[in-house]
Amino acid sequence: MKEKPITSYPLFESFKDKLKPNRSQAQMTLSQVNVFSRLSWQEIKIIENAVHIRNYGPGEPVFKQGDPGSGMYIIIEGSVGIFLDIPQQTPKQLSKLGDGDFFGEIALLDESPRTASATALENSTIIGFYRPDLMDILKTKPALGAKILLALSEVLAVRLRSTNGELVKVSRKLETVTETEANE
Amino acid sequence: MSNQDSVVIAPQSVRLFHQSLFKTLVYFFFLILVLAGAFKAFPLVVDALFLIVIAAILTTVFNPLVDRLESSGLRRIYGTLLMFGGIIGMVALGVIKGIPTLLSEISRIKHVIQQNAATDSLDSIMADINSRIAEYIPGFQLDLDLISSLSSQFFSQLGSVLAGALDTLATVIFILIITMFFLVDGKRMTKQLIGMVPNRYFEMSLNITYKTKQQLTNFLRGQLLAALGVAIQSFIGLTLLNWLFDTNISGVLLISSIAGMANMIPFVGPFMGMVPAIIVSLFNNLGDPVAVSNFYYILHIIGMFLIVQMIDNNIISPIVVSGSMEMHPLTVILLILVGSQLGVLGMFLAVPAWGISKVVIQEVYQGLKGHHLI
Repeated sequence: MKEKPITSYPLFESFKDKLKPNRSQAQMTLSQVNVFSRLSWQEIKIIENAVHIRNYGPGEPVFKQGDPGSGMYIIIEGSVGIFLDIPQQTPKQLSKLGDGDFFGEIALLDESPRTASATALENSTIIGFYRPDLMDILKTKPALGAKILLALSEVLAVRLRSTNGELVKVSRKLETVTETEANE
Repeated sequence: MSNQDSVVIAPQSVRLFHQSLFKTLVYFFFLILVLAGAFKAFPLVVDALFLIVIAAILTTVFNPLVDRLESSGLRRIYGTLLMFGGIIGMVALGVIKGIPTLLSEISRIKHVIQQNAATDSLDSIMADINSRIAEYIPGFQLDLDLISSLSSQFFSQLGSVLAGALDTLATVIFILIITMFFLVDGKRMTKQLIGMVPNRYFEMSLNITYKTKQQLTNFLRGQLLAALGVAIQSFIGLTLLNWLFDTNISGVLLISSIAGMANMIPFVGPFMGMVPAIIVSLFNNLGDPVAVSNFYYILHIIGMFLIVQMIDNNIISPIVVSGSMEMHPLTVILLILVGSQLGVLGMFLAVPAWGISKVVIQEVYQGLKGHHLI
């Protein structure tokens, strides 16, 4: 007769269940965002207490182009379209974001107007992490605030490097075009 | 078939009419009940709201300190308890040190009045003031009867003021308890309240709340720092007057604190702060014939408070108080008149309350404009 493995005993199973970390969907989503990916679960829990979880219906705007930016959004579930509003034209969809994607993170550092509109494309649950929340964390948990700011800076540095690369490519193309035109 | 239908429909519509009438009556009855309850409970609601507003203001004042304690690694609840422990300790020390002095002062003044000496001495002082002023302004005459009756009224009301102090103490304790809850759980409460705002206005509401809180913190901190500055200067000034000119002012710490708090009311406050010092000095010098015949010590007190005001207006206030308190003198007078309808506390709170409202309105307007909602 084959012996039952020790792990299948009900008492042991119950202990195992109790030892299992009970993490919410919001915590899991936050931990996947690169701004928070290096934080401990305890720190993620602090962030979860600071953020706002909102539900949006299909077609409901998350923010509009031109509104003063005040924070970033992380999609727990659903999808959000980023649109560029062009006067007297249908808004142009720039991208479609889904579960775990985030947008608007620059607004955490800068209150300048939103450069595009974000609209929920279906029933979506979205986490809002705003500048007041970040400021509050910086005031009460400065070490955690510094970690978030550092991660944000890294995101910006990566984007800046990629933009520089693009700029170099474009300027090379422009030089080639100018040279070709001059030769002609 | 159609006839049968019409026969069936008629009683059904009547039943429906009766049902709707019954529903309307029930709603009406409940509406009357709610309105009666609201009218009955209105004073209670106003009282509760008043306590909550005061607690919210205190929370705004103490929040930075609790935040600082939390940032040093202390849990928020322990930080709040530590701060309250400190405040209660300081108040207890003040009460232990101050109450016996205050009581002995009151009993001394009462004794003087009972001997009918107070009003007589005041008469002699006023007669002296009149004769001296008449040398420069012929025909000038201060109304002695009015001043005598005012001083008698002041002392007759002193007892009821002390009796009311116990009620005030209970209110203060209640306010402190609410403040403690706000300090510990305020952020969660605010988050839940803002969570009720529809998505369209959510970002804007959050921003307005944050900026208003920032502005209020700056405004109140500035006001308190300026008040503290005036209190410290008055304390130094009055101590110097006692030391240099033997002005004989007792309860310097209490008078300085009153001067500091009164300073929160622009234009009128500085004069209100000066009055207790003059009154105490007048009564302390009643038995002294030299002091009674020479009222220059009052001019010393006035001069000292004027210097304090000059330092406050030109050095301290420009540094610590934001420009949000800029008000027309007429506005201030009207506000104090309106506030006086709610008693002395109303007079004290009218101007700061207006200042706070101004900040809130400005921030809400800017927020609505920024989000293109107006």
